[in-house]
Amino acid sequence: MTLAEPLSAQTVGQGSFGRSADRDFQRLSFSGSASEYFGIWVVNILLTILTLGIYSAWAKVRRNRYFYGNTVLLGRAFEYHARGWQILIGRLIVFAYLVLYNVMLTFVPLVGIALSVLLLFFVPWLLARGLRFSARVTSYRNVRFDFVGRAGGAFVAFIVGPVLAALTLGILAPLASRWSYRYIGNNLRYGRKAFATDPSVGQIYRNWAISAAIIVLGFLIVGFVVALNSALIATAIENPDFAEMVEMQASLTLLIVLGYVLILSIFGVAGLVYRAGVRNVAWSATTFDGRHRLLSDLSRLRYTWIAVSNFVVTLVTLGLMRPWAAVRMARYVNEHTAVRFDGNVGEILSAIEAEGSAVGAEFMDIEGFDFGF
Amino acid sequence: MASDGPAIAHGEWHPRGSSRSLPASLLERAGRLAVRDETGAELAGGSLSSIEISSRVGRIPRRITFPDGSLFETVDNDAIDRFLAGKGCAREGIVHRLERFHPRLIAFVAATILLGALIYRLALPALVEVAVAVTPPIVPRIMSASTLETMDQTLLGESKLDEARRGRILDGFRRIVAESSGGEAGYTLNFRKGGAVGPNAFALPDGTLILTDELVELAGDDTEMIVGVLAHEIGHVEHKHSLRQIYRAAGVAALIMLIAGDIGSGAEDVLVQGGGLLSLSYSRSAEAEADRHSVELMMKAGLDPTAIARFFELLEAKLDDHSETSIFSTHPGTPERRKAILDMIAELRNPNR
Repeated sequence: MTLAEPLSAQTVGQGSFGRSADRDFQRLSFSGSASEYFGIWVVNILLTILTLGIYSAWAKVRRNRYFYGNTVLLGRAFEYHARGWQILIGRLIVFAYLVLYNVMLTFVPLVGIALSVLLLFFVPWLLARGLRFSARVTSYRNVRFDFVGRAGGAFVAFIVGPVLAALTLGILAPLASRWSYRYIGNNLRYGRKAFATDPSVGQIYRNWAISAAIIVLGFLIVGFVVALNSALIATAIENPDFAEMVEMQASLTLLIVLGYVLILSIFGVAGLVYRAGVRNVAWSATTFDGRHRLLSDLSRLRYTWIAVSNFVVTLVTLGLMRPWAAVRMARYVNEHTAVRFDGNVGEILSAIEAEGSAVGAEFMDIEGFDFGF
Repeated sequence: MASDGPAIAHGEWHPRGSSRSLPASLLERAGRLAVRDETGAELAGGSLSSIEISSRVGRIPRRITFPDGSLFETVDNDAIDRFLAGKGCAREGIVHRLERFHPRLIAFVAATILLGALIYRLALPALVEVAVAVTPPIVPRIMSASTLETMDQTLLGESKLDEARRGRILDGFRRIVAESSGGEAGYTLNFRKGGAVGPNAFALPDGTLILTDELVELAGDDTEMIVGVLAHEIGHVEHKHSLRQIYRAAGVAALIMLIAGDIGSGAEDVLVQGGGLLSLSYSRSAEAEADRHSVELMMKAGLDPTAIARFFELLEAKLDDHSETSIFSTHPGTPERRKAILDMIAELRNPNR
């Protein structure tokens, strides 16, 4: 529908990842600490439980204010302005819809099915509104972001894309990634100026090939293990005695669990490697106001290692190390994100004026739908 | 420098809606707050009630918005807090004070774990009971009608049982429903050809029972065994197991959803999977409850209560099922179940043992 006009080819970034010239790129940093966030985190969960979930909206505000407020570019932090009630109303609407949908599905299945079809048409609109809300409640140096994407673009980027990727077993996933990054990147505004992005499909496919290789290799290993065990099962069938049966049961159960975990981790690692690579390609192909370049130079290996070790440490400590993990990831991602300003930074950053329509508009806005809920 | 005392804090000042900033300081002047630039000229000001001071989160910059829309931003959080405390607005920062890194957080962690466990162990089951109690009887009826219709169209076929056999099963069935709290009106027995579901019997929440020809075949001449299995299914209905299962699953999903943002997506997935495993253990205890119900009902009806145990023996022999219980199974292991049933019978026969 309303996908933005393709950009001229000169903006397609050929970023040399990992070896960017630091002289002219201004990197983001993260000034938060794990111990500080730990307090915010535990109070968030405690109050959410005590208030039967109502506080969760305010918890989200405090969490986001902490992470945005510690994301620093050129000595100044970002800020998150959403109010708890804006998020609470959005959540209540989603919750009421779910209740209605389930009741209808029980009583009048036809109406329930109609509701889910209706939702399919509504989701793109909700996603576009959710992105707009998130952009409008974010500011940097007293100027807010804005998002002007429409439902049609969200439908292509977040419904057609993933469905196409799933139907083709991930072979067309790079197209879906490109669409979603273009939808977000070309509709984001800061002040009265626009961001623009045009990640090249070829570069995304190069990243995709690595992930595909990881999945193929992983499945070869799993297949090898299964083949080994089928020999074990065959011997058991030849001389069935009860004790061995029980033993085999136990080892089979263990095997099923192991296989499940193994397959999940293969897909997890491949997904993380892909995500980091695509972020590099897309961010590095993004410009602001037509002349300032963005850059992302995550190391795919390091990003995956941080995500996986974060997950394991969080699990082993029963969640207690989650604040440390979240801060660690935020720090790494911020330090590998940068902007290069074309011209005098001071002049550029003092000449940005807020867009009239975006100021105050968010007071009427509620968060309809966000990816986390 | 002007003669109006020391500055409260130093920071940056932005005009309304502009990214332009000037180094500035905040001070109190005749009962109002004002921002002044380095030369001492006032940039903005307002009475304490007309300005908006953002609440404190960690050490992120504090924002003070003036009535004219201009903004003063400072990283000196402590100075602002001291100023507010002096003005008697100390209760403002209560959440932040709770969040400070302090030994007291250990107590918060303990309280969170305890409350979480209490909610899971007590509040959730209690809420499920309330939900089951307020569910109008029409809900299970509609659920069952649509389920039966769906199954008939997809899996089940016409029953091929002969009348005599059907009559014998129905006789036994009438004897047990007469003893159950739903009474004869509460239950209907349907015969179907199982097809894909094989030898099976299941109950829908409104008391519709379905028995497959394959199970009758398996039982051979032992009609009592089939009646025992039906008594077990009646147990599921009387204890409203399926409704409880639905509400429990919804409750667990809601709990996980509420703290999702604070635990990260990976941990959230693990919790969802763990919730699935826990619901399996719930369904195992439901099976044991239904077994017990079968034994009691058969005794009351003057039939052989070991019938259901015989059925498990048969399953073991025919299907070669020696499975032991594990957390991954919905049904208790067959040998274990048989033993539990025999224990129950002994217990019910001599209660004063």
